[in-house]
Amino acid sequence: MKGTIFSIEEFAVFDGEGIRVNVFFKGCPLRCRWCHNPEGLKGKKQIVHSPNGCQHCGRCRRVCPSPEHCIACGACILECPKRLIRFSGEEWEAHDLARRILKLSPVLKASGGGVTFSGGEVLMQPDFLCALLEETAQLNRAVETSGYGKEEDFVRMLERVDFVFFDLKVMDRERHRHYTGVCNDLILENARRLMGSGVRHTFRVPFIHGVNTDRENLVRLRDFVREEEGRPGVEFLPYNKMAGAKYKMLGMAYDYDFRQPTKEDCALAGEILEGCDVRFRKA
Amino acid sequence: MTERIERVKRYLEERRHRAFRRELTAEELDEILPAIRDRSLSWMRRHTLRLKLFLERETPVLLPDTHIYGMRTIVSFPDIISAEEMAELKEKYYVHEKGKVTNLSWDVLTVLRDGLEGRRKKLMDGRQEDGEFVDCVLEIIDAVERFADRYAQALEGSGQAQEGEKLSRIVRRGAVTMEEAFQLFRILHFTLWCTDCYHNTLGRFDQWLLPFYRHDLETGIVTKESALEMIEDFFLSFNWDSDLYYSLAWGDNGQSLVIGGMLPDGSDGTNELTEMTLTAARELRQIDPKINLRVSKATPIELFETGTELTKIGLGFPQYSNDDVVIPCLEHWGYETADARDYCIAACWEFIVPNVAMDIPNIGGLPIAEVVRETIAEHLEECETMDELTQFVRQALRKKAEEMAEQVKNLFLEPAPFLSMLMGDYLERGSDISRGAKYNNYGFHGTGLSCGADQLAAVERYVFGERSITKKQLLTGMENDFETDKKLQWILRNKAPKMGRDESANEMGAALLDWFAQALEGLRNDRGGIFRGGTGTAMYYVWHGEHLPATADGRGAGEYLPANFSPSLFLTGAGPLSVLLGFSPESLLRTSNGGPMTLEIHDQVFKEKESIRKVAELVRAYIAAGGHQLQLNAVNSEKLRAAQEEPEKYQDLIVRVWGWSGHFVELDKCYQDQVVKRVEFGI
Repeated sequence: MKGTIFSIEEFAVFDGEGIRVNVFFKGCPLRCRWCHNPEGLKGKKQIVHSPNGCQHCGRCRRVCPSPEHCIACGACILECPKRLIRFSGEEWEAHDLARRILKLSPVLKASGGGVTFSGGEVLMQPDFLCALLEETAQLNRAVETSGYGKEEDFVRMLERVDFVFFDLKVMDRERHRHYTGVCNDLILENARRLMGSGVRHTFRVPFIHGVNTDRENLVRLRDFVREEEGRPGVEFLPYNKMAGAKYKMLGMAYDYDFRQPTKEDCALAGEILEGCDVRFRKA
Repeated sequence: MTERIERVKRYLEERRHRAFRRELTAEELDEILPAIRDRSLSWMRRHTLRLKLFLERETPVLLPDTHIYGMRTIVSFPDIISAEEMAELKEKYYVHEKGKVTNLSWDVLTVLRDGLEGRRKKLMDGRQEDGEFVDCVLEIIDAVERFADRYAQALEGSGQAQEGEKLSRIVRRGAVTMEEAFQLFRILHFTLWCTDCYHNTLGRFDQWLLPFYRHDLETGIVTKESALEMIEDFFLSFNWDSDLYYSLAWGDNGQSLVIGGMLPDGSDGTNELTEMTLTAARELRQIDPKINLRVSKATPIELFETGTELTKIGLGFPQYSNDDVVIPCLEHWGYETADARDYCIAACWEFIVPNVAMDIPNIGGLPIAEVVRETIAEHLEECETMDELTQFVRQALRKKAEEMAEQVKNLFLEPAPFLSMLMGDYLERGSDISRGAKYNNYGFHGTGLSCGADQLAAVERYVFGERSITKKQLLTGMENDFETDKKLQWILRNKAPKMGRDESANEMGAALLDWFAQALEGLRNDRGGIFRGGTGTAMYYVWHGEHLPATADGRGAGEYLPANFSPSLFLTGAGPLSVLLGFSPESLLRTSNGGPMTLEIHDQVFKEKESIRKVAELVRAYIAAGGHQLQLNAVNSEKLRAAQEEPEKYQDLIVRVWGWSGHFVELDKCYQDQVVKRVEFGI
């Protein structure tokens, strides 16, 4: 069972308990305008060109067999005298990737950590994901997802995972479509499945001033997460000013001007979501 | 930090104390130079005379707020060896660095308790093997006492007669309280720097201070808080003159100390001063003293967390060393168990034994990457199997080790009577420490280990395994810097096995270390000592890299080698966990001369409390895996690049360079680039 990932981070300290290995799946069905990880958007291997230090010598263009449309052949990588070009995306056999992760299990287990599968969107490669979850069963396994996936894939994933970080970006259907390219019906259905599954989880909100910081969105968020018993976990991740930093490397444009949440935004969220287990990450 | 310490710190950071400094005048030099370079006198006499003249010309300065006296006022004082004489010496002898006795750790507790009168008595009651040595030590003791008395007079002149009397007394009779211990240490350390015997350390700080601290607590002289204040005052004193020892850059001066670890009787020496030391260093944010923390599998996670809080501020300490590996390694080399358990750290990272050793742990660097490259270039063609090639590598390592051992014979060392006076019971022998001690071992660094391992692993996979690269193709690439075969270079750099990521390269690294150890086995230096192999590089990683042609791991001609015990600079797709597991081979039990695994952790990681715990877990994981020494940096490469662009804005940015930390903007460009390029493990 093969799949494509674009990064393995071995010392992920912000995505779950203990020291974790974070595997980033390549490919995402959403197009969130604030996405800071554009490498995760396309499902296929692609070329990344770091602009800093480029001398514009033109050698990459001279060797390119397909200047109109990049075919990710990698000819330019060998040519660049400053070594600024690389591939993004690597195909792995699930079994090999699991072995690669399990080699680290002494450290992961000793710290109470494990592995986190993230992206991109893990549900874009459901078979690969399930194979990995099964093969790493000896570790604590977490998944980060937008929840945008088929019901059967989501359920299969839930049966094999120990913890889920689930994004609730915007509660209004149309606004969700406006900002992410898709409406959130499927996402909310899967979120309810998660709440009913007994699998430990935290909801995550990429917190962006003017996008989802308003009272109405926060009230709808609260009402939604309070459908479950107890103190649901809600984590706010403030928008990162550096979000656009990687676009140029991929030959993409990033021309949105989002703003970090204000102190008042955070205070309001804290107030409305009282009774939930609320956390604010640092920007 | 108390207000008083804040004032001392500010005064220091504003460099106001430097207003008291001066250069020697031409007249003074006319008087000094002929005296100390009088060839009719012995080295011992010249050394002694120079120290006396130096101390006489120093001016006592009472800096405000600090309770510790002793600041250098003369910026530089000529060496007893002229350039011409040094050239002559080098024709006859092997001269290591400047020919001084360095990298020793003296018997702090005994000397602080003895005072100079106690030392004088031990000398007179002893065997007095060398009459000239005895005379010189006596003269030096007198000179130090006179120097201290001049400080006492200055105190009296400023209305602090009692303080002055106390100073004169403790220098003669020894210290009873913490404050006295710090003052006496200061005078002795000051004098040691005047002798130009640099790189001599502060030893096991939390051990030698403990009896004074307990005395003061029991008698009610101090509380824990006031003791911390005193420690901070003491630590700041190491920064008054730290810029006056100049090697490559400000910072490389050897003022390092050790805390924690096993005691000679096998019990755990970690005490409350261990943590207070970490706290003091964290609050002060100074380059000196450099902190080494001894740990083991049994160390509780809380101590690693306190250590991580210090790492967080970005000075590059503490540096951790693992008792579970270092002690058995020292025993393997013939150190008695009690001595091995008492180890401390030399100026950078070499493991040394205090009081009883005259080791030179950094006498040379064996260029592992180069030996592997040359072996491949010369012998690959004729080899049918990987085993044949590795046999050649082993032979080449042995040959190189023998050559290097031959080169360092007939060593010249300038006598060090003052330092000898500080060394344990050697005074009773009445002979200079430069002539040798209980242990007289030399250490060789091993540079470019991971480059060597990666080269062999690449050959194993592509030439003998897959046979996808021909011998000729590889040799041509290495010969012409891959000029005609960029694809080959790309494969070797990006796809080939790398130590720290791939098992085959890890195994090669482990084997290379063992072959390095075997290459040194049985070799003796001309003082009867052995050669210890290690994983440090010091400045060799730059020198050896610059002159090394392209290597079989895809490294281009002249590209840097990784510093110390670190993975290739081309390593991708592996994070700190893979690296630390790959860099903890069992062969470290035979190659722990010193040289840390260095991890750069993005400073973002330290922002949240729970991730401090995770970094602490990471450190503990390396110790549990059997790593010998670890040094972490909190860095941000964007910040470093910005500092290269606009150094004026980053004057205070401190980074760890190799065994020491320095101001980033003051480093040579090549060292800056190396720091920037090191693999940075982000979040």
